[in-house]
Amino acid sequence: MGDTTEIRKGAVIRMNGELYVVTSFQFVNPGKGQAFTKTKLKGITNGKGTEMTFKSGENVDVVQVDHVNMQYLYKSGDFYSFMNQQTYESSDVSADILDDDAKYLKEGLNVVASVHDGNVVAIELPKKITYTVLRAPDAVKGDTASGNVTKEVELDNGHHIQAPIFIKEGEQILVNTETGEYGGRVTE
Amino acid sequence: MNQVVHIANKKDFLKMRFLITQYIREFFWSEGFLEVETPSILKTSGQEPNIQAMKVVAHNERHESFQGYLATYPEYTMKKMIVAGFDKIFTICKAFRDHESFGGTHNPEFTIIEWYRNGKDFFALMDDMEHMFHFIARRLEEQGYPVPANLKQSWKRSPIPGLWKQYAEVNLDNYLDKDSMYQLCVEKGYKPEAGESYEELFYRIFLNHIEKHLGNDGPEIIYHYPALMASLSKRSTRAPGYAERFEAYYNNIEIANGFTELTDADEQLKRLEADKTERARLKLDDYEIDNEFIDAVHQLPECTGNSMGIDRIVQVFTGCKNIDNVIALPMSRIFNS
Repeated sequence: MGDTTEIRKGAVIRMNGELYVVTSFQFVNPGKGQAFTKTKLKGITNGKGTEMTFKSGENVDVVQVDHVNMQYLYKSGDFYSFMNQQTYESSDVSADILDDDAKYLKEGLNVVASVHDGNVVAIELPKKITYTVLRAPDAVKGDTASGNVTKEVELDNGHHIQAPIFIKEGEQILVNTETGEYGGRVTE
Repeated sequence: MNQVVHIANKKDFLKMRFLITQYIREFFWSEGFLEVETPSILKTSGQEPNIQAMKVVAHNERHESFQGYLATYPEYTMKKMIVAGFDKIFTICKAFRDHESFGGTHNPEFTIIEWYRNGKDFFALMDDMEHMFHFIARRLEEQGYPVPANLKQSWKRSPIPGLWKQYAEVNLDNYLDKDSMYQLCVEKGYKPEAGESYEELFYRIFLNHIEKHLGNDGPEIIYHYPALMASLSKRSTRAPGYAERFEAYYNNIEIANGFTELTDADEQLKRLEADKTERARLKLDDYEIDNEFIDAVHQLPECTGNSMGIDRIVQVFTGCKNIDNVIALPMSRIFNS
C-alpha cells in the first residue's frame, strides 16, 4: 500500500484486482477545493487505456516492481531492444510503452527499466543525456541583436532541439529529458 | 544559457501572456474599476486545508525578526479595503503556494486577477468574466493572433445539482450532509475512510464522474455548491442547502472561483475554526486566525468577488497544457535546470 505521492510515470498500481502502469499523471490543487492526482493508466494484461482520479493522500495499492539497469541496442519495427546489464539478455519493449521518450534514445544509452513479472512495463530515462551535435547552421551576425538567441540543431540520434546560437557542429551538449530543452554544454 | 533558451523557445506564448495581462487591465479600467495593490507579506494565512503558505522572516532596522507568510491570495486585504470604503476594485498580484507541483497545472508562484463589486451577487461576476474573455479575444485577434471559436461564445452555466443528476444519476438534495454522502460513496464502490470530511467525500464522486465532462465545448461555469463547501461564500436563499459559490472550467481545468461573499462574521469565524481543526487533524502548519479580518467581515457590505489565475487564462488562450510554457522562468527552470 502507498498513497498518491507514490504515483509517478512507470509506477504499477492494483485496482479491483487488475494491474495498471501509470503512463502519465497530473497533480491538481484547486486550493479552495480538494487536491487530487489525475492519472492515465494502461492495463498490463490487456493494454487498454483508462483514466482515474485519486484524491491527495488516498491509499493507492502500489505494486513493487524490479528496477533493472538496461542498455538501449536498436529499434526493429515497433519494438525497441534493450540489454539487461546483469544477465545480458535482451528485452523487446513496444513503442507505446516508450511513447514520446523514444525520441531521446540512442545506441548505448543506459536506462532504468521497471520490470514486473519478467516484462518491462516502463522505462526511466536519465534526467540529462549527452548528444553530439551533428548539424548546426552557422549563426548569422546580428541574430542576437534581433533577439534570436537560439537555433535548431540536429543531434546524433536524429532528434532536433533549440540550442544557443554559439553551439557548433561536433560539440557535445546535454538535453533535459523532463523539459525537452537544451540543458547545457558538456565541459570536460 | 538554459534559462535564456527556455525564454526564447516560449517567446510567442510569453508575448501573448503580457498582452493578455494588459488587456485584462484595460477591460477593468473600461468598466470603471480601480486597480489596487495588496501586500505579498502577511502575518498569518488563510485556513484552507489545501493551501499551504511559504514562511518568510522579515527584520527591521534593529534586526528584530518578524515571522510571516507570503500571501496565498489577496482576499482578506481586498475585503478590508471594501470595509474601509472602496468599491469596484481589482488587483493583479503574485500569489505563493507551497507544496505544489513545479510545472503541469501549477507553479508555486503565480499571478492572480481578483475583483469585487459591492451590492451585487455572483451572477454579476459571471457576466464580468465572460465579457473579459470576449474583450481579450477581440484584442488578440486585432493583433493577428488566432483565438479558438469557443472562447468567443457565451458561457454555459450549470447548477451543480443538475450535473450530479446528469452524470452521476444522483439527486444531490438528498446528500447534503456527511453521513448520507459517506453512504453514497460506499454505494458507488469507493472505500472512504472514517473521518473523511464532506468535501473529500463529495470530490470522490465529482472528480471521477463529473469533472471530465466540464468545459469541453468552451468555458463552463458551475454554481451552487453544497453549503458544507461554502468556503467564504454566502448561503443561497434561492437554493436552500447550497452556497453562492461558483467555479469556471475549461477543458477540465478550473480557471476561476467566485462567491457572493459571506457577510456574517460569526459564521465566518465558525468556518475558519472548523478549517483550523481540520488542518490540525491533517497535521498541517497551524496559522493564527486573522482577527482583523473577522472584525472587517462584521461590517462587510453585500458584495461579490472572483479570483482567476492569469497563468491559467493564458493557457486557455494559447492552448498550452503545461503552465511552464507561459512563464518566463518557472520554478522548474529556476531550481531543476
